Amino acid sequence: MAQLTKRGLIAAVVCSDTFMKLGTAQAKVFGVPDLPLLKIQHPLGGLSMDKVRERADAALPQLLKFVKEKQS
Amino acid sequence: MSSLAAMLKAPGALVECDDDPEAVYEFLCEKGWSDGLPVIPPTPERVERMLAYCDRDLEKPVAKIPPRFGAATPIRVAANAVIAGCKPEYFPLVLLALEAMAEDQYNLYGTQATTHPCTPMLIFNGPVAKEVGINAGQNVMGNYYRANAAIGRAVRLALVNIGAAIPGTGDMATAGTPAKFTFCVAENEDNSPWEPLHVELGFPRDASTVTVVAAEGPHNVNDHESLTAEGILTMVAGTIAITGSNNAYYAGQPVVAFGPEHAATVAAGGMSKADVKRWLFDHATLPLSRFSKETIERRFRRKLAEQYANAPLDTPVHMWAKPEDLVVIVTGGAGKHTQYVPTFGNTRAVTRALKRADGGLVKSIQELKTKSKA
Repeated sequence: MAQLTKRGLIAAVVCSDTFMKLGTAQAKVFGVPDLPLLKIQHPLGGLSMDKVRERADAALPQLLKFVKEKQS
Repeated sequence: MSSLAAMLKAPGALVECDDDPEAVYEFLCEKGWSDGLPVIPPTPERVERMLAYCDRDLEKPVAKIPPRFGAATPIRVAANAVIAGCKPEYFPLVLLALEAMAEDQYNLYGTQATTHPCTPMLIFNGPVAKEVGINAGQNVMGNYYRANAAIGRAVRLALVNIGAAIPGTGDMATAGTPAKFTFCVAENEDNSPWEPLHVELGFPRDASTVTVVAAEGPHNVNDHESLTAEGILTMVAGTIAITGSNNAYYAGQPVVAFGPEHAATVAAGGMSKADVKRWLFDHATLPLSRFSKETIERRFRRKLAEQYANAPLDTPVHMWAKPEDLVVIVTGGAGKHTQYVPTFGNTRAVTRALKRADGGLVKSIQELKTKSKA
């Protein structure tokens, strides 16, 4: 994602809340401190499909908001 | 002016605190620069003594340690070696282990940040292990021996202090493992019926090597009854074949560390190391049916579809990909026990020989003592 961002593409990372600190630190390490992290509830592993859809429902508005901001 | 003295003039390179041992310990713990155990203060004089055993550029990184990708320069690593309680002559082995872990196939990034409880297991072979006193005998994976304790601890401190493997931000291990304090052994070459690991891998017998494995803590195999190779190996295979291991899902390289008595029984049955690996590969399996229904459907049927999409439930699940991938060593002292060491799975064992800066193999650690020659 860092590489895509550096190439000028719109990129974001889905990150569960427990991993937000790691995600934020890694974005800085890879030189893209403003890389958007789409925050979802932890965990992502070991979920039923219904719960996976809930996570996607939480991430999608964040993604759309970010894309609109980038396009405006 | 030494390179260290020059570096210490940089802003922030030198920090000061009360020289009382408790105060230094408190200071490092508060800064997050410890593993929670008492420390030796890394004063410039002590770091300089450590660097007397380094013939490399003191500011050229031997590794970039993720997740921070901090530069593991000899100077920084030396400070961690002092904190860990290393003797100066241990220092080249700490650097060597970090160099090996930096190779791509080890997957240092994954092993640092994962939720899995893995940590570098350091296996030393060759004359240098004995020269610096790395235990290969009784209680080899336990406490008591300074070289085992301090070399492994120094590597771990470098992973935390240089690489930022800090629990909750850089090290996401769910529970971790006590082996994260140190996990450092030497092979008991004198009491092995087989060629030592480094010779098996093509290094000269008088080379000194480290093999790094992204390992869980060891699991014991108790067998006081078996009198044959097949008997011992049956017990080992039963300990390896477990449902909750990463090795059931990834092509990793777990380790079987035979106790010398078990190794002698197996070798007396006419089995070479290659024979042992083949036998264990074939027998350390579980039928697919032993895994949970969800694991079968979600992990095996979908993620590993190429192998298991339509596999019958009695299909054997192997614990590593190819027989030769198993790492076999002999270590420890008297007794009827062997250790099985599962791994992170998505990682390969890496072996590196100790060399001088000019590329020549090191026969003795004293060859690297540069400062006394100057």
